[in-house]
Amino acid sequence: MTPALPDILIGQTVALSAPSPPEAAGDYMVGKLGLLAMLAALAAQEAERGVAVRVAENQAIAEVLNAAGDAVTTPDHDLAWRALDAANAALRRRLIDVHEAAEQRGDGALQRRILELYVAMAADRALSLG
Amino acid sequence: MSLADQLVAYLSRQAGRPVHVETLARIPGGASRETYRYDAVTDDGRQGFILRRDPPGSLIETDRRAEFLAIRSFAGKGVAAPEAVVLEPEGAELERPFFIMKRVDGGLASSPFAADPFGTEAQAIGEQFFSIMGRIAAEPLAGLPLLEVFEPPQVGGCWRRELDYWSGVIEADEQHPQPIVRAAMRRLRASPPPPATRVAVVHGDFRNGNFLHDGAGRIIALLDWEMAHLGDPLEDLAWAMDPLWSPGSDGRISGMVSREEALAIWSRSSGLAVDPTALKWWALFASVKGQAIWTSAAKAWRDGGFAEPVLAFSGWFTARRQDEILAAQLAEWGPL
Repeated sequence: MTPALPDILIGQTVALSAPSPPEAAGDYMVGKLGLLAMLAALAAQEAERGVAVRVAENQAIAEVLNAAGDAVTTPDHDLAWRALDAANAALRRRLIDVHEAAEQRGDGALQRRILELYVAMAADRALSLG
Repeated sequence: MSLADQLVAYLSRQAGRPVHVETLARIPGGASRETYRYDAVTDDGRQGFILRRDPPGSLIETDRRAEFLAIRSFAGKGVAAPEAVVLEPEGAELERPFFIMKRVDGGLASSPFAADPFGTEAQAIGEQFFSIMGRIAAEPLAGLPLLEVFEPPQVGGCWRRELDYWSGVIEADEQHPQPIVRAAMRRLRASPPPPATRVAVVHGDFRNGNFLHDGAGRIIALLDWEMAHLGDPLEDLAWAMDPLWSPGSDGRISGMVSREEALAIWSRSSGLAVDPTALKWWALFASVKGQAIWTSAAKAWRDGGFAEPVLAFSGWFTARRQDEILAAQLAEWGPL
């Protein structure tokens, strides 16, 4: 969906270590450092709960898919970010198909459940600037 | 050769006499173009300019010619458009496409993520903001430079053209499946809006953060015209009103004026009524468009070697906030 935490941290290193031309000093560099500081604060939030959020989201999607007739398990034995995101991608792809099918056959109850799931997924993944 | 040397070479060749460049400095933001300020100094004196140059990888793949012509279309028309000076689509001495505008000095740009960005000037800024938007919507198309690059769509086809374009961006740039925005794309296609009241110039990124004000309640420059096109003027209205740009908790649009005031000001200025059904469609569309931009940002950040943190911020924090907004909108729309 969005960059994973390891990518963000690699990006911090790249952005800080790359040489800057003289015209990029001053206001631009101040703005860039401010953004990097903000990204670090967001990374702290993600580091704190990113794994738990992914495990919970994978479980919640699997529950909806199972309720819709799929036989899905959540293989979250590997808690590495890459493994969790790979499982999440597979579950999300299936969720897209199941939602679209529910729309096509007019299954309002399942659609409502999926829409509620979307609200919860987005809320759980939210990051705060405050 | 440094950028300063390149710029001196270009300007001197154009002027046919020596031109010195002083105080060249990159400006923060500007994820779609590298933006620089500089003074051009000749025997006649000193003048301030802004240089907008294409980056190696861009957040929004837009035609700088369209941006240049959009700004030209509104020169001197009371919408605070800067004065566009020259466009070099091949890049000349600067190696990448660029254009130059006269600089507007003394302006402040507010953060779109500030809860109360305008303080006691909020009402005055809000009235100008939505009035300017309305004036752009009311501008007759005939004779506008922007028509050199855009064919006006049919009033009934504005929505489809925009939805096709931004859906295509998501299809092309998505790196992780996004069920929420995809549900919104399907919902929009299944429930088209009424035809546009008229086809107008759409600024495309008309929001807090994309204008300069003088700190005393006056808007002095409307910036970032790179997504300008022709379409339904409600597109600009809905984009400006997306909850993403209104983090404050008091319901004011970007901390300026209430939603009701905003719609009334825009209607007075544009001479157009706001159809609530159409605006609801364009509001959901605005979130889809936003998510498409943030999706592209994440891809550009990765493809660009993680160099520009503004792309990481857009592709991460902003994308997740946009998903919250989309999910809430979809819940309100209900099942298909």
